[in-house]
Amino acid sequence: MAHVVTPLDQPSNYKDSQARIDRTKQNEILTKSTTLYVGNLSFYTTEEQIYEVFSKCTNPEDGGGIKRIIMGLDRNTRTPCGFCFVEYYTHAEALASLRYVSGTKVDERIIRCDLDLGYREGRQFGRGKSGGQVRDEHRADYDPGRGGWGAQAQRLEIERRREVEERYADAQEGPGAVAGGGGDWRESEAAPENTLKRARSPEDEGDSGRTGARARIDPHADHDANRI
Amino acid sequence: MSFNHHGGGRRKHYRDDHERRDIYDTPEQRLRKSIINLGEVDPTQELERVAKQIRQQVPISVPAITEGFRIGVTEQPFKIPYYAALLRLLHDPSPEPTDEEPAPGGPSLGKQVLEDYWKGFQAFLDKLAWRELRLCVHFFAHLTVAGVISSQSMFELLKSFTAVLEEFGASHGRAMKAALCAAEGLMMAGPVIKQTPGVDASEIVTMIKTYSESVNSTKTLVQPVVKLFSDETVIEHADEILDSAIAALGILEASDFAQTTDTFPQPYVDFPPLESEPFELPSVLVPPEVIELDGLTTEDGEDAQVKKEEWPAYYIRLFDNDVTPDPTTPVGYAIRSGLLDLVDIFEVNRKECARLLLEFPKWTLPGTFKPREGAPYAEPVPGKNWDLETTVLETILGSVFLLPETTHKPIYYYTLITELCKLMPKSAGPAVGKSIRKIYALLADGLDVEVAQRFADWFSIHMSNFNFGWVWKEWIPDMSLASKHPKRVFMQHAVELEIRLAYYDRILRVLPEAMQTADAGVMPEEAPGPDFEYDDPARPYHDSAQSVLNMLRGRAKADDVVAHVQSLKNTLAEGAEGDVNVDAVVCSIAVQSLLHIGSRSFSHFLNAIERYLPLLRSLAGGAGTGAGGGAAAHHDARMDILGAVYAFWKRSRHMVAIVFDKLMQYQIVDPTDVIAWTFAHGGGRGARGTFDAFQWALLKGALDKANGRVMIARRKVAALRKEADDNAARAKASETMEVDAEAKPDVIPAAETPALNTALKAFATLTREQKAALARALDGFVDYLVLEGTAAAKTREVITEKAWHARASWDEGEWEAWETWCWFRHFVRAYSPYLRNYVNTLGAVSLDRIGTMSDPAVDLFKKTWSIATGQM
Repeated sequence: MAHVVTPLDQPSNYKDSQARIDRTKQNEILTKSTTLYVGNLSFYTTEEQIYEVFSKCTNPEDGGGIKRIIMGLDRNTRTPCGFCFVEYYTHAEALASLRYVSGTKVDERIIRCDLDLGYREGRQFGRGKSGGQVRDEHRADYDPGRGGWGAQAQRLEIERRREVEERYADAQEGPGAVAGGGGDWRESEAAPENTLKRARSPEDEGDSGRTGARARIDPHADHDANRI
Repeated sequence: MSFNHHGGGRRKHYRDDHERRDIYDTPEQRLRKSIINLGEVDPTQELERVAKQIRQQVPISVPAITEGFRIGVTEQPFKIPYYAALLRLLHDPSPEPTDEEPAPGGPSLGKQVLEDYWKGFQAFLDKLAWRELRLCVHFFAHLTVAGVISSQSMFELLKSFTAVLEEFGASHGRAMKAALCAAEGLMMAGPVIKQTPGVDASEIVTMIKTYSESVNSTKTLVQPVVKLFSDETVIEHADEILDSAIAALGILEASDFAQTTDTFPQPYVDFPPLESEPFELPSVLVPPEVIELDGLTTEDGEDAQVKKEEWPAYYIRLFDNDVTPDPTTPVGYAIRSGLLDLVDIFEVNRKECARLLLEFPKWTLPGTFKPREGAPYAEPVPGKNWDLETTVLETILGSVFLLPETTHKPIYYYTLITELCKLMPKSAGPAVGKSIRKIYALLADGLDVEVAQRFADWFSIHMSNFNFGWVWKEWIPDMSLASKHPKRVFMQHAVELEIRLAYYDRILRVLPEAMQTADAGVMPEEAPGPDFEYDDPARPYHDSAQSVLNMLRGRAKADDVVAHVQSLKNTLAEGAEGDVNVDAVVCSIAVQSLLHIGSRSFSHFLNAIERYLPLLRSLAGGAGTGAGGGAAAHHDARMDILGAVYAFWKRSRHMVAIVFDKLMQYQIVDPTDVIAWTFAHGGGRGARGTFDAFQWALLKGALDKANGRVMIARRKVAALRKEADDNAARAKASETMEVDAEAKPDVIPAAETPALNTALKAFATLTREQKAALARALDGFVDYLVLEGTAAAKTREVITEKAWHARASWDEGEWEAWETWCWFRHFVRAYSPYLRNYVNTLGAVSLDRIGTMSDPAVDLFKKTWSIATGQM
């Protein structure tokens, strides 16, 4: 049945961009796949939360169940970076998740699910330049569940800050360290007055990066499913 | 109606060339689409236009038109009256005849389409596609009223469905679906059938009634509101679907079907009478059910095939008749049945389903539902004017609470409700709130435990999608109820599920102060987490545990750990004072240490046990470590393992279920072990003799595992047999160089390949395990409910009517005993297809333990068992 509406468990445009299998073969694998890619997770969502939701689509009496969950990790920091793979024992369970769970909230974020070709070593890591997911490279919004600003934006921010910090790195103490700038016109030239000011130290900057604590997340923030 | 390429809101995307959709539809596709999309703006207005478009098609393709009707009728049943009207129009001679038009005197286009449509109906019949059949019957019924189909032949069609009810041994599922075809067809076609000479419409009603009464005994077992003492089939807060249909038909009959006009739209009613003879539906026979027998039996020759048996379907009723329509009236029945069809058909796309549900009033008679806010004022129709969102909610929840199981996975209905709330937050949101309050109130009046469980499940999933925003404070007064009162059990359970979906502090924040403290009994004392018994240096065996833990952390080889654990056992045995069970202590240390290194996440846990499977096997007594051997020792060892898991995760009980599941998956323990542990040690507070939702989760996990394995083994045997047959057939074909048309595959003996032999052996082992698991569970309930000495004190008290009416004064003990009875009922009805296969052995072993004892509890136990296993 599906002449009137498009079923939600049809394969979407999601693909493993690094898969080295031809498209026909890929589609064939997908028609039997038991693995889901789950995206738009918060970095703080645990495997147990994922298990709780995705176990609602299992058919244990039919030999099914959740086989394993592979948490997507930042290549560099080895911390969750907002995606995972859920592997079931049967294809039907993966399809049920597409129909019933994809597009609903897990840990208060709207997640997206897609059929996946199956986990291979190395795929647990983010593929973005900064170690996380590519989508977090270019994101221009502030997403507290995903480490704040996107990695590019974060890098720009860090770059800007570095420039600011480096700018005064040669600041010195003692007489002559700070230019006087000249005063009012005077009859005769006198020696300039020295102002003593402490140089700005890098420690004064608030810390940045992805260290947002769980408690900082705004639980009421609503997330737009279509963004992904 | 969104159509394939613009539905679902998916982005257009690149596909390989060979996959790219044609941008242009063929004329036939366009025509089909026009028929399917009939009425998107105004059905009545569009009828003439679409009829004209169909006629102008050159060349006329009857199959394309029929396909449009077939899809429209079976996938958009709310449009059926308009499809009937459209087909009626096509029976008129064309106002502007084209060359394609049938010559005068020949069959009209409409008639040709109907003849073709009938062929499709026959195909549905051959497949026993019940929903499609029923919707086609709707279509035919409307066509009968429109004068297109002869009323006599329509009546005969309905009677071929009621004939199913007289078959010997028809399953309830088959009988119910056939009865609904007849009943709904009669509701729609009644006015003309009633006037047909020599036809008695009440014949149909009587037959359905007789059938429904014949299954009365099974009804009490699937009512969502439980009265253990009662045999009453009509209950206050729910109604059985066949009985509702009978009641609605009763009302219609009493008024000679005058109410049909008030129930279903009849857009064809003002059309002039048809000039040609009406279509005579050919007579049909509903084919028998085909059960594919694979002939696989257990070692004892029992039939191991599972035949899912359907039960009478009670839909819960939450609201008054002025808020939502009463489903035992014609219009109430029609509305609910229409909504149920939508929920069922559009299961593939819950978002579209939600949209269509909210558009439903468009397809009902004016005044049926309250006009939307901002819509032009319409005079309310007396007796109607219902609330759409509340009606939709009540209908969906009715499906959620069907017993023993839902048609689709419960999560489908939960997220369907989520979509409704997203589309119409202002009206669907309050409908959800009202529903929650009504169901919550029913908790005190006997809401079935499984229904209560699904309620908590839905509640938590729903709240997790809407910022956990529930007004908990209105339930504060109920905190004075007994701690095992269903309302308090619900609060606890809902909070536990919410914590699992979120985290402790998040849920703590949404609760009112009175519910935040641990002694309020709503929130657990602290965030769920592991409890490593040997963490504290002051605890006994701390050092021993550290030594094991260090090896595990250092990723020592499994064999080395096994050896270390063995030597630890010897050391402890030497130094042991008194009657210390050293085996149990060492097992607990090893298992808890393993869980400890795996406690960071589900994956860490899987890695840990996968790395140390040899250790677990040796602990379980499977590796022949000389632990005394013998079945009893093995049993004890497995109970120790499960006990250690519970000790470690007792503050996070869903982890217990997850770990048990994987221990079964890796075959460290068997489902029967888990069931034995559940009955012996799974009870709350260490108390024995009562059964709760946590135990049910463990029991269900174990039984499903045992049943799932049999299912996999069965499929494997079937696949191997087929392969062997194919090979044999191929060999034979190449031998004779031609395929012998006479040779049937089953004549060729399946070669008993080694793989097939192994699979057959596995099947035998697994069915034995399945039977053992079911037997252990049944035994457990015999112990808990009826056996003197082991049964809880109150099991005999709570089943009487008098006790039930005095439930306001019930304490923990009474509620626990009542809950145990309810879980037993759920066990037998949920696993009835499996229990039926083994009814003789199971009955002999477990029920014989009760002996000839007779008292109300024994009688209730035996009666419940008999109903579930089809002996009553």
